[in-house]
Amino acid sequence: MVVNNKERQKMGNYHDIEMRVVYAQTLSELIERNPAVCCIEADLGKADASIPEISKRHPGNFINCGVQEANMIGVGAGLAKEGKIPFCATFTAFATRRCYDQITISVAYANNNVKIVGNSPGITQGPNGGTHMCFQDLSIMRAMPNMHVYSPADANELRSVMFYMAASKQPTYMQLVRLKMPKLFEEGAPFDPNQAKRLHEGKDVTLVATGFMTRFALDVARQLATEGVKVDLLHYPSVKPFDAQTLIDSVRKTGAAVTVENQSIIGGLGSAVCEVLSEYHPVRVRRLGIPDKFGEVADQDYLFNKHGFGPEHIARACRELAGSKP
Amino acid sequence: MTREQLDSLAAEFRYVVTDAICRSGVGHIGGVMSLVEIVITLYFRIMHLKPEDPSWPDRDRLVLSKGHAGPIVYTALAYKGYFPKVWLTTINKNGTRLPSHMDQILTPGVEMTAGSLGQGLSCACGMALAAKHDGKKHRVFCIIGDGESDEGQIWEAALFAAHNRLDNLIVICDYNKMQIDGRTEEIMNLEPLVDKWRAFGWETFEINGHDWEDIHDTIRKADAVTGRPTMIIAHTIKGKGNRETEGLVDCHNVKIPDETTYQRIMCGLDCKCDLPY
Repeated sequence: MVVNNKERQKMGNYHDIEMRVVYAQTLSELIERNPAVCCIEADLGKADASIPEISKRHPGNFINCGVQEANMIGVGAGLAKEGKIPFCATFTAFATRRCYDQITISVAYANNNVKIVGNSPGITQGPNGGTHMCFQDLSIMRAMPNMHVYSPADANELRSVMFYMAASKQPTYMQLVRLKMPKLFEEGAPFDPNQAKRLHEGKDVTLVATGFMTRFALDVARQLATEGVKVDLLHYPSVKPFDAQTLIDSVRKTGAAVTVENQSIIGGLGSAVCEVLSEYHPVRVRRLGIPDKFGEVADQDYLFNKHGFGPEHIARACRELAGSKP
Repeated sequence: MTREQLDSLAAEFRYVVTDAICRSGVGHIGGVMSLVEIVITLYFRIMHLKPEDPSWPDRDRLVLSKGHAGPIVYTALAYKGYFPKVWLTTINKNGTRLPSHMDQILTPGVEMTAGSLGQGLSCACGMALAAKHDGKKHRVFCIIGDGESDEGQIWEAALFAAHNRLDNLIVICDYNKMQIDGRTEEIMNLEPLVDKWRAFGWETFEINGHDWEDIHDTIRKADAVTGRPTMIIAHTIKGKGNRETEGLVDCHNVKIPDETTYQRIMCGLDCKCDLPY
């Protein structure tokens, strides 16, 4: 279904719809504001909801490369070189690890202003299983020079991030959770990649989250407050650049940090936290996420429990670290 | 330009680019020498350019997808006035703006970074698509290698360009029949190459890549093609014009470790010219 602007305004609450639809509607809005913005797909336009939203509404700004992720990145680089602002989207595994060298050379090294969107990060790939579950996109994209890496946590933040991306000339990778997400931020909430957001104030333990996991982290922080454990919850919509100062200031107060991410614990958010703290303010850190494992066909609760990074695991880690400080 | 002038310029280019590469101690002489006539034709007879304004919106674009042949394009850019010819003496040296592989950030006149093979053709497709989208009349040229044509991404781009009817895209394949490890027919056979491109929906020509009129007239024919991209399979000789390299499989990346080797390679050239720096 293609909605027009009036219908879109009537709908009002972007949290009532899937994030992928918010992505497509926001991209449509960006094209209307700036015709240089374009939507590039690799045969997953339906999964990204850009079909029919953009393919029908803005056919001149919609390019489907077929199942050609490497070519999609190169085409995006060529378009960007000519002043276009391409948003190239596909599943996270294919958006990053499948075409890592193309992104490295044609986008980041060449400084071509391409926006890469990875749909369905980590365990949210559910039914597609291990071949499609990419646990290392934050890690490998963060390791690439001249690449920003974002992971918005709700629909309003997704929109703010996309508006920022369209206005900046920075090669960027963004994780896109496909599902509906509960509201965490107000519409128009500012996004600054150099600024973490404190979602819950506390003095006992720092909890650091990004993207899909932030909602669970906030639930845990609120629950632990009722038990007397005060969590300082920091949400990082940008994993790179990484706001080190807010983290350092927080752990100076709390003395310990728990990180949680819908990713491998190797190289992603938890690693970014450890890199900063080991150099500037060493404290005890517990990293939650997927250990050094591949994915599998399974639902969220099964994978949370198997790998130990669901709400109860986050709560347990926070309690332990809050109570174990010297 | 007369044929004599073109021959003279090609001889000078071969002398200068060989000297420039030798100064760095190592370089891709083979794939540079096979492109001399093609690059001169593009920069001095075909492409609309304003060297004093490298970002002129209506300029024709060239993407050298086989980015390791950068030095021959740097020579053309220097002679066109994009930067001083003395820059050529810095190729591959510390802090240079003329690296072994093409870099759009470092070098004035370079349109697209390339070096990891197979990627430049996709980028050229994006540039041609942008021109179509904006109703621009300029052309996008792209040079790919035959070894590079082993890359799957080349054939992704081949499908893409034909599907999107990119008739403003003219690609030249430097078919010198050699790649790093040996002859293409031994390492990864490309034949029948012309049939492949035709089957992918491209207008396809075959030329002698060292014959001035063949190159020029075929590009003019490609200009007139509508509704589909053009591939020009240019039969060339790797290391052309130097007895030390011409037709030799091992001329892909030549080491010049000392003065004796330098003198031997320079003496292998057909003529001697005054260096312009």
